[in-house]
Amino acid sequence: MGLLTNILLAPFLGPVWGTKWTLDKIDRVVREELTDDTPIKEDLLALQMKLETGEIDDAEYVRREAQIMTRFREVREWRERFGMSTSGGPVRVAESGESK
Amino acid sequence: MQPWDNHWKYVYCIIRNDRSKEFGEIGIGSGSRVYTVSFKDLAAVVSDTPIVIYDPTRENVLAHEFVNETVMREFTLIPMSFGTVFRSENDVLALLRSTYQAFTDVLEKMQDKIEFGLKILWDRDKVVAAIERENDEIRRLKDEITRNAASSTYFARMQLGRLVEAAMEEASNRYVADIHEQLEDVSVASRSNKVIGDRMILNAAFLVDRRDEKSFDERVKAISLQYEDLLTFKYTGPWPPYNFVNIKLKLEKAI
Repeated sequence: MGLLTNILLAPFLGPVWGTKWTLDKIDRVVREELTDDTPIKEDLLALQMKLETGEIDDAEYVRREAQIMTRFREVREWRERFGMSTSGGPVRVAESGESK
Repeated sequence: MQPWDNHWKYVYCIIRNDRSKEFGEIGIGSGSRVYTVSFKDLAAVVSDTPIVIYDPTRENVLAHEFVNETVMREFTLIPMSFGTVFRSENDVLALLRSTYQAFTDVLEKMQDKIEFGLKILWDRDKVVAAIERENDEIRRLKDEITRNAASSTYFARMQLGRLVEAAMEEASNRYVADIHEQLEDVSVASRSNKVIGDRMILNAAFLVDRRDEKSFDERVKAISLQYEDLLTFKYTGPWPPYNFVNIKLKLEKAI
């Protein structure tokens, strides 16, 4: 998180970035990194596999599952902050659909 | 409406059924009542829930899955993704209404179809041993290296490593192709997902007609016997057709 924090706060505190382009690009990369839950899902699947093959025991599974859930929540918060869709949680049919 | 109200609807799946139906007190969270919300001949299987975001923990996922398994005993179903919560019965009805045609078409296609998961792991040491037995070039090179331990070059070892790697990849492809081929006539479709971890060589889902369930089952058992010494089979199901239904719902955040 250290680097990300720097990148997020740097424009105000640190050296001025060279071009707008760089700033946009970095913004995009940071956004993607913060809002992508694919690697978390993969970690969860890998963890389940480790439990299944006996590589870790139940207590270890529960401990690591809790860490993964925290990461899920962090990504969800960022997605909400950027106004992106989130998996799960309260939803309704979008007005733009062919409903009604 | 207050956030602690218990009137939000957790949706498990969509089925075809035109009268109301109860599935028992098996809902996610605290075992709440699972029932249907109907629109024409479609029904959403739901339970009441307070407005919470369900983490995909093992406990929650199993609860979601248990409801779908129960429903599956009697119905063909379209599974909803985990954690989907609607504000009210009206919102669920809006979902059924706006997606009526798509749900109906998919239910038709999935009629009496079930999914099985097949993950295959290999034991690297055993596969290497098998390759050494079968591959003359590798065996010769290995013998040579062992015999001239002192004088055998770094390059000879490199060469051996590369040959073994290539042979392993070839073996993995061969096993996977053979297994797919043997399951082809007892399944309707198959889909390969990304493998998990470094021991897995196949992570596939198979769509199977209920009539062929037994044949599919027997075939998987026969294949796992055939590869008993080399591969570990993780065989699961029957599941709802998670990997074969792809309906993108136009949903937005409700709060």
